Order: sequence, then C-alpha cells, then structure tokens
Amino acid sequence: MANKNDNVTLVDALDKVLEKGAVINGDIVIRLADVDLIFLGLRLILTSVSKAEELSGKSFSDREKEPTPEDIAYIEKLQREIRKSEENIPKLIDVSDPKKTEQGLAKLVLTLVELIRKLLEKEAYRRVKRETLSPAEIQKLGLSLKAVKKKIKELQTVFGIEDEELNLDLGPLGNLM
Amino acid sequence: MKGLYLYCFREKTEGLSAFSTKGIDGRGDVFTLPYRDLEAVVSKVSLEEFGSIEIQKNAQEDLNWIKEKGVAHEKVIEEAMRKNDKILSLIPMKFGTIFKEKAGLEETLGENYSKIKEILDRIRGKQEWSLKVYLKGEKNLEQMVKEKNEAIKEKEKEIATLDEGTAFFMEEELQEVISKEADKELNNIVEALFKNLKKQAVDSKKGKILEKELTGRREPMVLNAAYLIPEEKVKNFKEEVEALNQEVQIKGFYLEYSGPWPAFNFTSY
Repeated sequence: MANKNDNVTLVDALDKVLEKGAVINGDIVIRLADVDLIFLGLRLILTSVSKAEELSGKSFSDREKEPTPEDIAYIEKLQREIRKSEENIPKLIDVSDPKKTEQGLAKLVLTLVELIRKLLEKEAYRRVKRETLSPAEIQKLGLSLKAVKKKIKELQTVFGIEDEELNLDLGPLGNLM
Repeated sequence: MKGLYLYCFREKTEGLSAFSTKGIDGRGDVFTLPYRDLEAVVSKVSLEEFGSIEIQKNAQEDLNWIKEKGVAHEKVIEEAMRKNDKILSLIPMKFGTIFKEKAGLEETLGENYSKIKEILDRIRGKQEWSLKVYLKGEKNLEQMVKEKNEAIKEKEKEIATLDEGTAFFMEEELQEVISKEADKELNNIVEALFKNLKKQAVDSKKGKILEKELTGRREPMVLNAAYLIPEEKVKNFKEEVEALNQEVQIKGFYLEYSGPWPAFNFTSY
C-alpha cells in the first residue's frame, strides 16, 4: 500500500516539488509554469487564448503596443498548441478504425441529444409546476421524456459510452454539462 | 562557470556526504556544504546551461523536461532524508534555486540561520505522510442515504401510486434530492476521516483533489491530505488507516497512504 511507483505517486511528488517546499532567494531561479498549468498540460488539454491570458496575467488588447519577445514566444506556444489539437482531431475520427469513429461520433451526437433532453425536461418541469397542464398532458409529457431518456441509455450501452463521457470539454468555458 | 543547485537544508550528518543519486543535470555529483551545525545539499551545474533563456523556456512549456527535472529534484531529497533506517528531518527546497558561488549560499544560510533552526526543531522526529481517499461506488452512498432518510422513503411511496408519466417528474426531482444528500454524506465521511487521522499527527493539510486523468484511476479522489506525524506514532497512523479502510469499505470508499515524504507541506516559509 505504501508503494512509491504508481501514477499517483509521480503526480504527488511533482505537486510537492513544483509547488511546495521552502523558497530561498538564489542568484538564479528557474521559474516553472504554474502548477495548475502543468497539470493541465499533463491532461493534454488545449489552452485557448483567453485562458492563457487569464493564467499568464498578460493582455494582448493594447493596439499600439509592439509585442514583446515574451508575447511572441507565448503566441507561438499557443499556435503550437492549436496545431497539436488539430493533429489530434483526425485521431479521434480514425478512418482506418470504423468502430472507433462510430463511437466517437455517437458520443458527440448523444451528448448533444442529452443536452437538449435536459433543457426540455427543465422546461416541461417548469410547466408542470405552474399547474397549467392537465393530468393527461403531464402524463404524456412525462412518458415521452422518460422514453427519450431510456433511448439514450440504450444507445449508450450499444456504443459502450459511460454516463460521465456524455460531456464536452469546452476549454475555458468549462464543461458543457 | 559552475554554480550550485540547492536541494535541501539539514543538520550536519556524519558519514552521509556521498550520494549515489546524480544531480539535477543528470551528471553532477551531489554533495554537502557545511555551515555551522547545518549543511546544504547541492550539486554543481553549468551556469551557461542553467542560467540560459532556454532552460527558463523549458520550465514554462516543456512538460517532459519539467517532469524529469522535478523527479530528479525529489530523488536527491529522498536520499538526503535517509540514514540507514532512520529518517532525518530536513527542509526541502522548492524546485529551481541556483547560487553562482558558495559564498552567496553561505550568506543566505547565515541570514536564515535562526529560521532554519526553528523549522528543523519543529519537525525533528516527525515525518510527512500522504493520505488519499477514493470513492469506488457512488451508488452505495445513494442507497445508504435512501435507507436512512425518512422523507425520501415517504416520497418514494407517494411516487409508487402515480401513473408512470407523472411519476417521471417526481422521480427526477427526487433523484436530485438524493444526489444532494449523498454529496452531504460524502463530505461528512471525508471530513470525519481527515479529522480521525489528525489525532496521530501534530499538523495536517488538505491538498488539491487530483483529477482522474492525473491519478489514472477510475474512481474519483475525494480527499488528498498530508500529515506530519511523530516517528513513534507512524505505526498507529498506518494501523488507523487500515482500520478506517475496513470501516468505510462498505460505504464504497478506500484509503491509501504513502510515505515518509520529505516534509514539503510543513517546512515552507
């Protein structure tokens, strides 16, 4: 149980070394990227311009200002990130592996259907609460929503998609649901 | 030109001046620099290399470089912490401090001498241990909440009398209540675990929860804690973790400890 060689331990060690520990003023200090940023990188998630601005505390909004070498380096870094993500897209839709592609597409479609279903359900529920619907209408509404929900579950099983996979990472905006 | 990369401070330790671990650059020998009754654990690095813009750039964006160097830094401190079976108290440095000359490091040691002594005194004979708690079955927790909560049971009975369509809305509503209650229960259990183990420790800290992508586990992490534990209580701590593990297993949790670690969480200033 006290083994020191799994993934958790590596991340644990990095977290300690990179973020904690005593700070002494040396002649040279190697400044690491923010530890959250490093972990974000470890997750191989792309960074968008707005998030990068927020994290770096830099702003690119001054029109008159010439970009500093730092700015240029940063922009180049972002461009690299974007290219990397672009390269990853064909991997997600793998033509030579139709089954994987099918699952990838199914996931995308189901995520959107699930989002719409949730919105519909919220609206329907609001109407039920407002007591403007007849009992028969409530019953019909409830049954159709339930049917859609079950159908999504069924398709999830067919394509082997877990509940928590029905989401989209929108980068700086957080998750879709 | 050679500079000195700094790993940690410790009390002068007899017979432990040679290190088998290589320095941060993968080449330089790790050695100790004495100062009064203290010593600094350092290795020589090329100032052209480590003072360069390229290194600063790596530290900002090259994840593999950061990983490799971070681990190398920690490995040296791990070795500095051990004398045969004994765990020495030391102050681990955060990654990335370099002195151009020995004199500069000695001056810093002089300026910080009393502070360093104070921290070393405080952590002497104590060890840092990590505790992580994972949640295996969220469903177990929801089931428990359902069985315990009378209001939920009542609601379920009411739903059973409704037609299926109308029941759907109630079920969805109830599910939200159950999830919220399960969350509350989760927090209570985690808080109780954290406090329970505090008894063995002189200090404790909650760290950030690591995401699944980082832990590589299917189960979400629900507690990431560090404890500073007196040597003589480490055995109790382990036993307590095992006992708590048995106890919360039924609720779908499991505990893992690791250590001893250099006291990164309890020596910063």
